[in-house]
Amino acid sequence: MKKLKKILGVLVIMVLVATGFGFYLYTKKPADVRTLTSNYQLTATTLVAAFNADEKLANVKYLDQVIDVKGIVTDIKIDSAKQATIFLDGGDPLAAVTCSFYNEEAAAVKTIKPGEEVIIKGKCTGKLMDVVLNKCSIQKKL
Amino acid sequence: MKKTIIAITALFLLQTSFAQKRFITKTGNISFSAGTALEDIDGVNKSVTSLFDMATGEIVFTLLIKGYEFKSSLLQEHFNENYMESDKFPKSTFKGKITNLDKINFLKDGLYPATIKGTLEIHGVTNNVEATGNFKVSGEAVTSTSDFVVLLEDYKITIPSLVKDKIAKTAKIKVNCNYAALK
Repeated sequence: MKKLKKILGVLVIMVLVATGFGFYLYTKKPADVRTLTSNYQLTATTLVAAFNADEKLANVKYLDQVIDVKGIVTDIKIDSAKQATIFLDGGDPLAAVTCSFYNEEAAAVKTIKPGEEVIIKGKCTGKLMDVVLNKCSIQKKL
Repeated sequence: MKKTIIAITALFLLQTSFAQKRFITKTGNISFSAGTALEDIDGVNKSVTSLFDMATGEIVFTLLIKGYEFKSSLLQEHFNENYMESDKFPKSTFKGKITNLDKINFLKDGLYPATIKGTLEIHGVTNNVEATGNFKVSGEAVTSTSDFVVLLEDYKITIPSLVKDKIAKTAKIKVNCNYAALK
């Protein structure tokens, strides 16, 4: 009888832990890229050149990776929904680096002007016309 | 009188030569929701590239699947790995034409209802689609908005039976793109 109680107890705990873990996974928010360590540090020109040279290879290397990109700001867009984007010169008239920011970063983006050199941290999502980073934040003004 | 005519003609010529023909955005917004009463499933992409030509009516939207942002990391993982297979199919593209171009004046402020016909590629599958939306013109800026529905089955996106009550069979797509004239 005592043994049965013990087994039942263990079972109940196991179910609780499993449910808890399931719930944790279920409600877990995506990692805040701002708190992650960058896997790569490079310039906007190098990043664009890598994608221009071999997009497949560049995807394997940079996709989903947190990257610090250094470059000259060519344009800044902040829309009414506080969605902020900075474009970095990619050394190619047809391809820049598009950096889409966290909405809370709009205020920081406002302090940047075209022509300035900055380091931006973000997650690489691939290349359309530009190489795109999302979940960006400004690391440093140079 | 002659001078006035010359002046007006000159002004007209000047205006047409300055008129921009193509519009572009790299910061377009396309979100979707495929949830049911049981669960909210929505993702938003804030870096959509879209381009259209106001003379021919040709219009293109393209986005990176990995650019979709979610509230839950598990959703994001399942979206990329199980449903969209974004490593295999990294992009989604719509190419088409504005079919009622004659009713839209991109040089005059206003809200113009539009119909667009073309092909939509998602998850490596291309289908013919038709959608309605609006173009809002104010000065140099043009905004396109549209709401339409995509049947997941049409794009070979299969939902495991275990979660079929939580995921809708269709996805509601919402488009909101702010264009600027292409210099």
